[in-house]
Amino acid sequence: MLFVLPALLYVGIFHLVPVVYGLVLSFTDYDPLSRTSPDVVGFDNYVAIFSDAAFRDSLLVTGRYVLMVLPVTVALALGLALLVNRPFPGVGLVRSALYVPHIVALTAVSMVWLWMYSSNGLINEVLGWFQLPAQSWLYDEDTALPAVAAMRVWKALGSNMVLLLAGLQSIPKELYEAARVDGARRWQLFRHITLPGLRPILVYVVAMDIIFLAQGFAEIFVLTGGGPLGSTTTTNYLIYTEAFQYNRMGSASAMAFVLFAFIAGASLLAVRGMLGRRQS
Amino acid sequence: MTNTLSPPTGREAPPAATRPRRRRRRGGLDGHDRLTRAVLLLGTCLLVMVPFAWMISLAFTPPEQAFGSVALVPEDPTLENFSTALLDADLLRALANSAIVAAVVVLGNCVIAILAGYAFAMLPFRGSTAVFFSLVATTAIPVSVTLIPLFLMTRGVPLAGGNDILGQGGSGLLDTLAGLTLPHLVMPMNIFLARQYFSGSSRDLAEAARIDGAGEWRIFSRIYLPLAKPLVAVIAIFSFTGVWDDFLWPLVITSSPESQTVQLALARFLVDGNVQYGPLMAGVVLVTLPVIAVFLFNQRGFISGLTDGSVKG
Amino acid sequence: MDVTSRMRHLRGPVALVATGALALAACSSGGGGGSGDSADSLVVWFPGTNQTEIDLVTDVIVPQFEEETGVEVEVTFADWGDLSTKLSAAFAAGTAPDVFGHGPAAIADYAVNERVEPLDGYVAQLDPDDVEDLSSALPGGQVDGVQYLIPLSMQGNMFIYDAEMFADAGLDPDAPPSTWEEIYEAAEALTVRDASGTVTRSGLLLPTHPVGTQQSFANLLLAAGGDQLSPDGTQAAFNSPEGEQALRLLVDMYSGEEPVATGLGANFMDAAAAQQPIVTGDAAIMMTVAPRATDIMAAAPDRDFRILPVPRFESADSGHALGGAGAGLMISSDSPDKDLAWQFIEYMIDPGTSEQYTEGIGAVPTRMSAVQGEYAQSSPVVQAWLEALPQFTANPNVPGWVQARDTMATYLEGALRGQATPEDTLTEMETAVNDVLAAARP
Repeated sequence: MLFVLPALLYVGIFHLVPVVYGLVLSFTDYDPLSRTSPDVVGFDNYVAIFSDAAFRDSLLVTGRYVLMVLPVTVALALGLALLVNRPFPGVGLVRSALYVPHIVALTAVSMVWLWMYSSNGLINEVLGWFQLPAQSWLYDEDTALPAVAAMRVWKALGSNMVLLLAGLQSIPKELYEAARVDGARRWQLFRHITLPGLRPILVYVVAMDIIFLAQGFAEIFVLTGGGPLGSTTTTNYLIYTEAFQYNRMGSASAMAFVLFAFIAGASLLAVRGMLGRRQS
Repeated sequence: MTNTLSPPTGREAPPAATRPRRRRRRGGLDGHDRLTRAVLLLGTCLLVMVPFAWMISLAFTPPEQAFGSVALVPEDPTLENFSTALLDADLLRALANSAIVAAVVVLGNCVIAILAGYAFAMLPFRGSTAVFFSLVATTAIPVSVTLIPLFLMTRGVPLAGGNDILGQGGSGLLDTLAGLTLPHLVMPMNIFLARQYFSGSSRDLAEAARIDGAGEWRIFSRIYLPLAKPLVAVIAIFSFTGVWDDFLWPLVITSSPESQTVQLALARFLVDGNVQYGPLMAGVVLVTLPVIAVFLFNQRGFISGLTDGSVKG
Repeated sequence: MDVTSRMRHLRGPVALVATGALALAACSSGGGGGSGDSADSLVVWFPGTNQTEIDLVTDVIVPQFEEETGVEVEVTFADWGDLSTKLSAAFAAGTAPDVFGHGPAAIADYAVNERVEPLDGYVAQLDPDDVEDLSSALPGGQVDGVQYLIPLSMQGNMFIYDAEMFADAGLDPDAPPSTWEEIYEAAEALTVRDASGTVTRSGLLLPTHPVGTQQSFANLLLAAGGDQLSPDGTQAAFNSPEGEQALRLLVDMYSGEEPVATGLGANFMDAAAAQQPIVTGDAAIMMTVAPRATDIMAAAPDRDFRILPVPRFESADSGHALGGAGAGLMISSDSPDKDLAWQFIEYMIDPGTSEQYTEGIGAVPTRMSAVQGEYAQSSPVVQAWLEALPQFTANPNVPGWVQARDTMATYLEGALRGQATPEDTLTEMETAVNDVLAAARP
């Protein structure tokens, strides 16, 4: 218990209190610019956002976005982690190269991706080499969200790989020795040792990815501004607009807690699903 | 973290005699395997590095030519952008500020978060699962909502920045380096990560040590912590990048040039409609180098040097 | 207080926490003006992070001001994208700067919440000649006739064209079109299509990214003689024959039977100079703003780019475009020494400082006398914009404008992407904008 206390106090004060504060605000009409104290409005904010089509659409966009990024990035990261798990000359450099996207300032990187997606940018140029027609990636309802998702996969790959790498390193090596003595094939090793051993970290990776992807904002802000026709307006983008463009903090908070309920539900489902397999 | 009390981890080098045998057995496949792996890795690295290569190229391109054409190697490279980035944006001071803040944050997370994660995994207490989930849940609330409360709290820290004991009257920790560390000093996701990591390790060692009369602290610091090198490495890397990349919080709480961080310094080149690509990218390269250094240093924690890490290819 | 009477809505523990939290919020907003609390220092936040602006303000203007007044000035530059966030947090905590800058679109929301000081008294003390000189700038900083913001530069949309492309298409670059009907005709001649009929070079480009769509529409609406809102700012006024004329042209341009533009949704306005469609040869005529036009000319010095005079629709009497006051400075109502704050603003709008400042950032000066200034004389771009100043009309400064603008952009985008006819779009947009304006009125 003593081990937990410092963390508990700290997170309690600097993370939990603001959240509770936000929860309280979601029942008020708080406007940070207003000089009068906010009025308590009960569940009005919640009722209002649920009758707002833009909010409901944003939840769908958020869900789609998570589903586009999550499986791809986890699968790729797992593959890469397996490839760079064993030391070889230059392994540090290769790992760094794969990790670099995660550490480059998002705003700067977005400038480059904006250009890569532009009508005469790199991607259309490459399509041109194969006689394929140029696309207006970020300005077409059908391609905008996948285009943003592609950048996010690129950005999240490195951090997921590093986590899975740490997970791989935590699997006792003698398990493999023993299995190999028993004549296990590589796939069997992966299926019966690597995957179960990796499960705790995999649970973390999936849960964290859901939590962060479902709050996707910065990449949307820079690449599409929520368009075209709202096809990339994630809930968190809407929350930002509501809170800081229109100064409706109460309604923004209500949106945040509805989003939270969805995130919590989705991560619990995912974690359950993954842990469930262990029991069977 | 010297390891004087060597634990019975099963991670020691396998008896020397087994090594050559294993090598031989896998030898037939190895050449082919290695080639596949090298090709796969090389291909992925190249793909992943394309946008970054572009940024480096832009960093050496004279500002007025930026984005004029698809050319990976600038025609007449220049160092001008780097001097602009260093001088105009006062990048050195920003680097120093960010480094101090990051060091404190890394330390805080490596100690407090790992300790807590360990306890949640190995020493559960009544209600610990509920407590744990409410800590982690805080990361699922968008920052737009928690920003203002946190700002009010930072301003209201008692006895700081001219505040009285009730936190009134002054500016608290606004515009200070201490204020910059506040939301990051213990990141709930790191507690989560540490818990997951330790929940995968065996409890037998702890049981055995307890029977021998070892205290909990000794069990943690002498047995489990040395086993958790990859975890420490990851948490160090993540805390470092997390705080190094942070933009919104420094933007909101700093005002004087003395407390600027690297991301704020870079934002200077992101003028609407007149983005200064050269200096921006030069700045990004300069700002990214320390993170790569931290990564390179820490990623060695992923190599358990005692085994030849033979297995999964 | 209201809070206690309404508290009945909540029960038990929630009410308790709420009281505590709101009390905290209330206490916190009682604070002074940040570190500018004492009378001998001043905290100023500038919008944007333009290097020339930073150098000029921190190396020249501020030291000069400090020396003359003995006051210490602390200046912070915040990027545009996050300025509102930074200000909201500061206002909520009572740590707002004494003086801060913002675009005109935001002032009404600060004004209705009494966060910014009315400046009429100070403006009245200015030399009448000064006021006259600033007369095209000042109205853009007013809400309901009260001055809240003092503009530091002017903005406006004009059209840049490539004279060689005109000549190649058989048009006379020395006698450019002057009405929208003529421009559209010219655009049809200037448009290049591939074998399948897809536009490969736009004859005419108006921006259609989220914020740009509203600007394009407003620009054409004004040129047709229409208005965005009623004179009192409470009702939408764009659902008119003029509005239909404007929207129809915009829709025809991108998705009519013979479109003359491609790249729907792309934000070319904010692209780097070397990437501007007119520089890359992807457009023959396009909308732009003064600083960008300067960059474009500099990026392609051997090309012959020219500026169109502000056009009108044939049915309108004179040319009009969207423009007017640009970003400017406001004084926080919490500032302990507002006279000092005003002194700083006065410094910034002094003819010498003003010219230096606008030249530094490549913007259009606020003073009409600047036409004779060295800066305007040396720059045909600035000259063209200064001459067009009387034809610029600004967006309305009413509470809720930011959201009204975004709402318009959403509906206009629907029309551009063929989701609704221009008539239906205008009708629905009118209802939606009226709702937004009604909800935002105090």
